[in-house]
Amino acid sequence: MTAQSWERASEFLEGGRRRRRDIVTPEGVSLPFDLADYGERAVAFVLDVVFQNVITMVLLLVAIFAFFGGHKAFSDIAGPVMIAITLFTAFLVRNFYFIHFELSWQGATPGKRIIGIRVADRHGGPLRPAAIVARNLTREIEMFLPLSLLSGLGEGSGVWQKLSLGVWFTLFLLLPLFNRDRMRAGDLIAGTTVIAVPKRILLADLVERAARYAFSDRQLGAYGAFELQVLEELLRRPNAPDAERLRREVCDKICRKIEWPEPIASTDCAAFLRDFYTAERNHLEREQLYGRHRADKDAAAERAGGLDARN
Amino acid sequence: MSGATETEGLRLKSSEFRKAREASWRDLESLIARAEKKGARSLSAEELQRLPLLYRATLSSLSVARSVALDRNLLLYLENLALRAFLVVYAPHARQLESVVDFLLRGFPAAVRRARWHFLIALLLQIVGGVAGYLLTIADESWFTAIVPASLAGDRGPSSTHDSLYNDEIHAPWPGFAESFALTANFLFSHNTVVGILIFSLGVAAGAPSVLLLIYQGLIMGAFLALHADRGLLVEILGWLSIHGITEITAITLCGAGGLLIADKILFPGRHSRLDTVAREGRAAAQIAIGAIPLLFVAGILEGGFRQLVQSTAWRFAIGGTSGLLWLAYFMLSGRRAR
Repeated sequence: MTAQSWERASEFLEGGRRRRRDIVTPEGVSLPFDLADYGERAVAFVLDVVFQNVITMVLLLVAIFAFFGGHKAFSDIAGPVMIAITLFTAFLVRNFYFIHFELSWQGATPGKRIIGIRVADRHGGPLRPAAIVARNLTREIEMFLPLSLLSGLGEGSGVWQKLSLGVWFTLFLLLPLFNRDRMRAGDLIAGTTVIAVPKRILLADLVERAARYAFSDRQLGAYGAFELQVLEELLRRPNAPDAERLRREVCDKICRKIEWPEPIASTDCAAFLRDFYTAERNHLEREQLYGRHRADKDAAAERAGGLDARN
Repeated sequence: MSGATETEGLRLKSSEFRKAREASWRDLESLIARAEKKGARSLSAEELQRLPLLYRATLSSLSVARSVALDRNLLLYLENLALRAFLVVYAPHARQLESVVDFLLRGFPAAVRRARWHFLIALLLQIVGGVAGYLLTIADESWFTAIVPASLAGDRGPSSTHDSLYNDEIHAPWPGFAESFALTANFLFSHNTVVGILIFSLGVAAGAPSVLLLIYQGLIMGAFLALHADRGLLVEILGWLSIHGITEITAITLCGAGGLLIADKILFPGRHSRLDTVAREGRAAAQIAIGAIPLLFVAGILEGGFRQLVQSTAWRFAIGGTSGLLWLAYFMLSGRRAR
């Protein structure tokens, strides 16, 4: 199927909120993926900062117990050593948290994993350790420096200096808003991007073997792939009154369009749609194999010579 | 139901296809789910062998499905599964310890050698700053307070005398093991690393801030030298600085070289697109910057721990000089042979 009709079905059914991109794997197959939303990335980052602080504090508590529970001989050097350990742990956690997790969890940190986003190579190559290091070293100027500036804004001296620095760093912070791949400076120099990887579930096949209704090729020719996929989505909806009403409406519409001779009872509606879906898919897939792909019903009419569709 | 016999034999190619392949997709899905949750390490050897085979089979399923199937759920599922499998199969796989050793022995020195011109420029910028700082301060000592931030200067300044500098700074007593190795070395390491990362990552802003920071580092150094030279302590201060300074300046220069490399590619991308060039060279630059961190660690130990422990200027020169030679040999020679 062509990418265009595909896009259209996705946009119609999912609102087209996400921004789709393609990578070509080394095997030569193009895989579409969704860029992560700004919100998702922000939330993941906040979660990660919280985790960082929790880790630092836990390590600190362990150190405290190790020292104050231990020998008395330690007590005179315990003070400075404690401070040193605190400083060092905080430093390590802050600088290597992201690098460590993105290396060992295939491009995800705990925050990213909770949100369901990942780091990936922009062109579909393998994600190299050097890329992970590069994208995380720049975090210092993008995130932590602006944050520390923000916390120090109250201090009196050099307001203008701080303000101009603030503007400067805000530009870095907002960089993802200004490019089409939502890259921050770190992604830019590492050649990476952050993508959303939701888990999709394979649902049962809707195709029904034993059919009650039969359709002619002419009747099936009334629709295209787009309508088929919207119908698929409708059939997959759970049986709520709302969905049943919609099915009734769609059923009537189809009957009118294909000039179905007898009326369909309300109870038979679902069965009719299922049979129609099976027959339509069979028809369209066969046609596609012969190189006659039809994106939607208008395209179908045009191909048929379309005298009435134009009016 | 007249049409029933006609449609009884309705066999969709896409359905048949799905029935034949579904088991292997499910298999891959369970492997991927486990790898995502517990890391690729949790898979057994046999499963690790199966993974790429299943991945390629799924990719080919996807290609077939795209041409024969119009089942949207199936296509979305296969695309999603292939993408997740792709991310696992092409994730950074090397064992962390192994890749660290390989990086230190080969990747890092090689990256530095490739960026030797950027390294020299970064060094030159500091020297220019140093000369300027020296000349300014030697002519008028009020420049010292203007150049050197108060936190770095401590109580040193135009009012310092020969004796105060000699006793409180250059030959200050060793503060003891915990204080020097744990506290001071630590603080110096953290502080210098942040400065290094800053110099590196500001290369993203086309390099101007990196250049300024490098010159500024030189200015501070020059001002310090001038102040001590004026009090007749030039040789002592050089020894005092060289014990750790050679390592530290090398590290800062490396960070600067990384930043300049990125800036270079942003300004002059060459034949490829700017984004692609920056992405490729950015990784090399990051290697240089991350490699500088161990150097800063060594510098922190030398400065915090050994500088006051070793009280003789001759020995300080010896240690500093040896460290310089070692770094030079490391960057020139290590990893030259092909694997």
